[in-house]
Amino acid sequence: MDFNVIGKSVIRVDGLAKVTGKAIYPQDIYMDNMLFGKTLRSSVPHAYFTLDTSKAEKIEGVVKIFTAKDVPGHNSHGVLFKDHEVLCEKKVRRIGDPIAFVVAVSEKIAAEAIEAIEVKYEEIPAVFDPVEAMKDEIKVHDGKSNIIYHYKLRKGNIEEGFAQSDVIVENVYNTSMVEHAFLQPEAGVSYVEDDGTIVVCAATQYPHFDQLEIAEAMGVPAEKVKVINPAVGGAFGGREDITLQIHLAMAAVYTGRPVKAVYSREESFYAHSKRHPEIIKIKTGANKEGKLLALEAEIIADTGAYASWAINVTRKSGIHVTGPYVIPNVKVDAYAVYTNNPFCGAMRGFGATQVPIATEQQMDILAEKLNISPVEIRLKNAFTKGSQTANGQTLTDSVPLVDCITKAAKAIGMF
Amino acid sequence: MKTISLKVNGKPYTVEVEEDMRLLDLLRDKLGFTGVKEGCAEGECGACSVIMDGNLVTSCLVMAFQADGKEIITIEGLQSEDGTLHPIQQAFLDEGAVQCGFCTPAMVLAAKALLDKNPNPTDEQIKEGISGNLCRCTGYAKIVSAVKKAAEYLNQGGK
Amino acid sequence: MELKKVIKAEKLDEVLNLLAENRERAKVIAGGTDFVIQLREKKIAPEVIIDISDVDELNFIRKSGEFIEIGAATKFTTIKNSGIISDAFKGLKDAAGHVGSPQIRNLGTVGGNICNGSPAADTVPALLALGAVAVVKSKNNTREVPLEEFYLDRGKVKLEPDEILYAVKFLNSKPGQGLGFVKLGLRNALAISSISIAVFVETDNDINCKDVRIGSGALAKFPIREKEVEAFLKGKTLHEDVIEEATEFFGKILEQRLAGRPPVEKDYKPYAIKGVFKEALNKALSVVC
Repeated sequence: MDFNVIGKSVIRVDGLAKVTGKAIYPQDIYMDNMLFGKTLRSSVPHAYFTLDTSKAEKIEGVVKIFTAKDVPGHNSHGVLFKDHEVLCEKKVRRIGDPIAFVVAVSEKIAAEAIEAIEVKYEEIPAVFDPVEAMKDEIKVHDGKSNIIYHYKLRKGNIEEGFAQSDVIVENVYNTSMVEHAFLQPEAGVSYVEDDGTIVVCAATQYPHFDQLEIAEAMGVPAEKVKVINPAVGGAFGGREDITLQIHLAMAAVYTGRPVKAVYSREESFYAHSKRHPEIIKIKTGANKEGKLLALEAEIIADTGAYASWAINVTRKSGIHVTGPYVIPNVKVDAYAVYTNNPFCGAMRGFGATQVPIATEQQMDILAEKLNISPVEIRLKNAFTKGSQTANGQTLTDSVPLVDCITKAAKAIGMF
Repeated sequence: MKTISLKVNGKPYTVEVEEDMRLLDLLRDKLGFTGVKEGCAEGECGACSVIMDGNLVTSCLVMAFQADGKEIITIEGLQSEDGTLHPIQQAFLDEGAVQCGFCTPAMVLAAKALLDKNPNPTDEQIKEGISGNLCRCTGYAKIVSAVKKAAEYLNQGGK
Repeated sequence: MELKKVIKAEKLDEVLNLLAENRERAKVIAGGTDFVIQLREKKIAPEVIIDISDVDELNFIRKSGEFIEIGAATKFTTIKNSGIISDAFKGLKDAAGHVGSPQIRNLGTVGGNICNGSPAADTVPALLALGAVAVVKSKNNTREVPLEEFYLDRGKVKLEPDEILYAVKFLNSKPGQGLGFVKLGLRNALAISSISIAVFVETDNDINCKDVRIGSGALAKFPIREKEVEAFLKGKTLHEDVIEEATEFFGKILEQRLAGRPPVEKDYKPYAIKGVFKEALNKALSVVC
């Protein structure tokens, strides 16, 4: 069969606009009569607070300072749980929580007004260690356990698996929080069309869901909200949660004018999710020949102050902690836990990126103890066509792992 | 306010600038050259790079008033009026060196600044030439091939 | 203070007059690579900004008698590509080539590198190792200060409000001399130095250390001379075991100096210095001519 695209080099459709600098990212939108918005964010990780905006309001050029009470619909958003507030009402749960949105005639005046808002914090004990947080002595969200998810995986008989193992390796691995640092910081413009439709232009990975979240927060039907996704300057998972979309919509509806906001790099760091840091406690057993017999793991994923995609990410870690290997006896417990740290969500790999650090290190250590090569132990246990994963999926299609390892090993002279 | 005169992409401008304005703000907000991007505001990402008097500079670290009398080239100045792409732009397209595109305008200018001075750079020289420009989509390999391809196009007198 | 006036100076006299007139109210901008960030972060708030980046009288690399003089507004790129600085002192060009990125090197100046007083300034260790002297000018005065005495504290140099760094100068290379520079950072481009070391050696018979000067960056509050290590090496024959001993000695000195610092400094730097110093010394020896 002759394909038009497959197997051929094609020029990407948006390439021309991008190499000529004509591609429009949200910060490149300038409209007549446009106002400028800026967010005030919490400077402490866990506190009740009160705001005094009176001084800031008096600054010439300040049009409106929005706080929680100005949110017309539900003051909440979130991809899985509605645990974020559009603007925090009385409590902040992390450094960087949005507490007010200033709209002014220029960016400079908006920045000046942000500094003039007086915030009084009544700090309360915070929890930064997810293991501590699991005790639920300090609750990040009132009335809710910090443990928001427990993924359980059981296969075979774990005790027997270890009993039959000739070598057992047990270690704890910690992975770090990671920032996406997509090159284009968050930016957006909102305006209201003649028929009352709220338009939000923002670089997002999730325009159809943003539409629902904006509608719910604005208290309008979804068809009254239009989300336009201009060019997106990288995302890598960091644009799956709402950042400035609802703030802008509120400001455009209230003022009747186009409102724009552009985050600085620093604010971008505060505003969006991170990759979940995980504590991975793992025990792996193999027989003398290097065949894996048992794997037991406990994974604690720190999702920070908000859940975002914690459940899906943690589940994926729980599934992938076996690595691409056939293991007859598996026991995995993976937890997602609230803390007062920056919130974590999607980032390139979605939970599959963290666990190989533990899994593959274990394989190397096992190989060393068994005095076989790290290549050999992997080839002995690798998934092939027809293998069943620990969570019960039979791999029916292409599974070229053995070929891949063999080629890579040859290329680096290990085979 | 202060009045300055400068040339952008060959065209002279006389403009009033605020004392604390950066060249980046002048180019984007006052003159409409939005192909110049702001990524970090501290010279780390290179997205705001322009060519000033023949040298690549980060426009976030130049005050607007310092650009008085200067000649600036932005991405908007590369394409011919009839729409023909500059050979470097064509090479970026042909080599698939464009992903999210936010680094692209400055990356193309970094390539131009390099190739203007060194028409036959080695891979190492290309890497040094773009070392002040971050691509977070991790497309560096393709960008390096694009700069090599661009050198070929330019040495053949354009594609 | 509110920024009221910005001036793009053309002549040195104009700069000196403006400084005499405005003193503390004024700040000088050259490359702007640190200045613009500090201004936006409100770490500096001058009323008047004087741009010296296009003052030709501050932009030169020249031979003057037995000295090489570099004007304060000379850009890193110019130093990196200079044909006047000899191959024996290539370490200085290497240091300038390690600053930031091409963009930063096209803006940033040696004067800014010195006057910002950053502990991690890349060209300063090289200049210290060359025994450079700072030439300072004000409206009515010119004075010279050895660069190693020019620093007061992190971010602070001995400049009066009406003074400007005019140039740095050092003795041109003689046979038997060499300068080596090595920078350790997280990556090649745009990384602030974790350690930078410049070593100047003067040898006879290719191996006897007649004289040595070591400049270091990011190992103290500001770039300094490492005089204990210099004393250790001076007069010795630079066999491999002597160099090895010197690196160990350098490590010990840093262990003491950095004892109260965070682990990344106190544990890492005394260890890492050994490789960095050895490489810098060997580089210096390799360019001796």
